Amino acid sequence: MFAILAGAAVLGLGWNGLSGRGFALTQNAYLQEGDVEVGAPEARTRLDQGALFLDARPIAFYEMSHIPGALPLPEDDFDRAFARIEPRLRSSFDIVVYCSGFGCEASHLVARKLKDRGIPAIVLAEGWPAWTDAGYPIKEGPRP
Amino acid sequence: MKWLRHPALYWLVSIGLGAVFVYASIDKIAHPQDFVRIVYRYRLAGPTAGLGVVPANVLGVVLPWIELVTGVLLVTGLWRREAAALAGGMLVTFLAAVGYVLWQGIDVAHCGCFTVGGEGRSAGWTLIASDLALLAAALYVVRVWPQDAAPVSASDPLPAGR
Repeated sequence: MFAILAGAAVLGLGWNGLSGRGFALTQNAYLQEGDVEVGAPEARTRLDQGALFLDARPIAFYEMSHIPGALPLPEDDFDRAFARIEPRLRSSFDIVVYCSGFGCEASHLVARKLKDRGIPAIVLAEGWPAWTDAGYPIKEGPRP
Repeated sequence: MKWLRHPALYWLVSIGLGAVFVYASIDKIAHPQDFVRIVYRYRLAGPTAGLGVVPANVLGVVLPWIELVTGVLLVTGLWRREAAALAGGMLVTFLAAVGYVLWQGIDVAHCGCFTVGGEGRSAGWTLIASDLALLAAALYVVRVWPQDAAPVSASDPLPAGR
């Protein structure tokens, strides 16, 4: 049985590396061509320079706490939230989207939806936990 | 229960189980990154801050090949019992994964069982039922020894249906 597992592992890793269909195993699989990610320190610098932050998590998470100044743009209610803040989005030239971090695809999905509407946005890599682990400020409550 | 040891039934269950595993592997092998995204949603191998993304990525890349090799062995009959035992092990793991997401209330809308795109089955009770049926088939192949087929003389008529 070990031989079957070992053979399958060699085939799988070989296929991933050589077939042209694979991807870097150290890379987040949610990342697609055209996505741009920045780390927490770079995001903090952008916040200080006036970047607009968007919270792609479900609204309940935003209302508990969020990055100061961020607006809610939950991926699960994108169309309605987008319509509400569209003028602000179209007047912003530096937009950073974040969600719940590892295992969360919402920020990438929101950034792509914005891009489809002609609004470039970048993603905070590893999202909310990266921000809070770095000790950067947060704001509690429903207001930005 | 003698019929359970009939060689034709044993052969049919082995090949059927193998075919399911081969079929289940193809779309995942063709689209490894899409399958890894589904693996993420189960939250069993990460990604987490502690584990990072590598364990989930490796699992998502290797698992479909384990399914394929297991399926091919079941169909061809080479190492059939070992392959069936491995299939049973995988099915127990899948059952544990689905049980975990149900217990945790994690919504895995696409189970990644046979395809990685479009509308998939959700990780729920119907999936548990079908995995249990496949597990029964795997245990059958591991545990049951088919009766040797009686020697057939060249002058014997062929059975109906051949």
